[in-house]
Amino acid sequence: MPPSKPVQEFETVRTWFQGLRQQWGEDPNDWDQRLEALAGFCGFVEKDPDTVIKECVRESEAGKRISVKGRRFYNDKIAEWQASLPGDRSAQGRAGNAVRSFLIHNGIFIQSGLQA
Amino acid sequence: MEFKQVVGRRRSIRFFEPDKQVEREKIQTILEAARLASCAVNAQWLRAIVVERDKLPKEKLDQLKTPVAALTLDLAPLHIYFFCDLGVVNRIKGERLKELVDVGALAPTHGWSHKFVDDFVYPQILKPMTENLQGYLPAAAADCGGAAHIALLTAFEEGLGACLNTPNPGLVKRVFNVPDDWVPLWVLLVGYPAESWEAGGQRPRPPFEELYFEGEYGTPFARDEKVVERLRGAGMIQAPAPLPGRTEELRELARRFGLPE
Repeated sequence: MPPSKPVQEFETVRTWFQGLRQQWGEDPNDWDQRLEALAGFCGFVEKDPDTVIKECVRESEAGKRISVKGRRFYNDKIAEWQASLPGDRSAQGRAGNAVRSFLIHNGIFIQSGLQA
Repeated sequence: MEFKQVVGRRRSIRFFEPDKQVEREKIQTILEAARLASCAVNAQWLRAIVVERDKLPKEKLDQLKTPVAALTLDLAPLHIYFFCDLGVVNRIKGERLKELVDVGALAPTHGWSHKFVDDFVYPQILKPMTENLQGYLPAAAADCGGAAHIALLTAFEEGLGACLNTPNPGLVKRVFNVPDDWVPLWVLLVGYPAESWEAGGQRPRPPFEELYFEGEYGTPFARDEKVVERLRGAGMIQAPAPLPGRTEELRELARRFGLPE
C-alpha cells in the first residue's frame, strides 16, 4: 500500500527527525531530499514508514527484538532500490543512505558498506 | 611513546584508511607483544590468525561480517583473529611450568619443584580443571584477553589504530579451518586511522569509586586528585569525549566513505 498521507506525518519520521537533530545538534539542512528519498523508497516497497519499521521488529517473550528476516529484507530492498535510481553511484548511495538513516534513528541497526 | 600515553591514547578506532596497508614489521611486533603477556601456568592459550583483508577471498570476507562489524571489517586492512587453544594444557602436561622452575622464575623459595608439578599441579589441578569447561573456559579466555590487550596497546604504540570486535564463532572456525579445541575469541581490526587520533576524546567511564574498592566491597578506593593530575600530565588521563569538532569530523567521515548520517 502506498503511504496514505505525506511521509513527514508518520510517527517514525518524526522520530527520525528528532534523532538527526539530537545526533548532529541541528536540524538537517537536507531534510526535503531525505523525505523525498524515503517517500520514493516507500513507494518502491509499497509500505508506509511506520510499517517498514514495524516489519524490522518482532516481539518475543524477552521483549522487543530486531527481526533478522525483516532487517535483511529491507537491507536488500534498499540496495535494489538505490541501484534502480538514475544518477551516479554517489547519488544513488546518498538516497539509499537516507533510508538507512531513517531505520537507524528508529533503532534498527543497519550498516551500509562503503557507498563512496 | 611512554606507556601511560599509550594507555591514554588508545581508543576503539572504527574508521580506517582502507587502502593503507599495515607494514609486516608492525604486524610481527603486535604478535611478539602478545606472546610476552603474562600467562597463568605459562600455558600460552592464545593463538592468532593474521588476515590481510585484501588477500582474503571476497566470499570468505562476506561470511565473516556480523551485522555490527561489517563496516569495520571493510575498512580495516588487517584483521587478527584471536583464539583460545583449550587443548594446550593436556598437551604440555605442566612442562612449561617446569621450564619456569628451570629458569628460576618459579623457585623453591615459593614451594616450587619439578616433582610438585609432576605429582600435584598437573594431575591434581590442571587436568581436572580442563574437565570442567564451565570453569576452565572463562579462566583460559580471560588469560587470552590479557594478551590480546597487550597486542591492542602495541598497535597504538606503533602508530596504528585498532578495535576489538567479537566475531561469529561458528563461522570463524569454519572459514579458518581451525582445530576443534580452538575457541574463537576476538578479532583485532587494525589499520591507520582515518579519524584523528583523538577520535573525539577519551571515552566515558563510570566513576572510579564505583568500580574499585579497598579492603572490602562497599568501601570505595579513595581517588587522590594529585595522582589524577599527575596522570593528566603524563597523557594517561585525557580530555573526555566529546571533544569540540567531533560532530563535524563524523559528518566528514560519513561523507567521505558514503555512510548514513
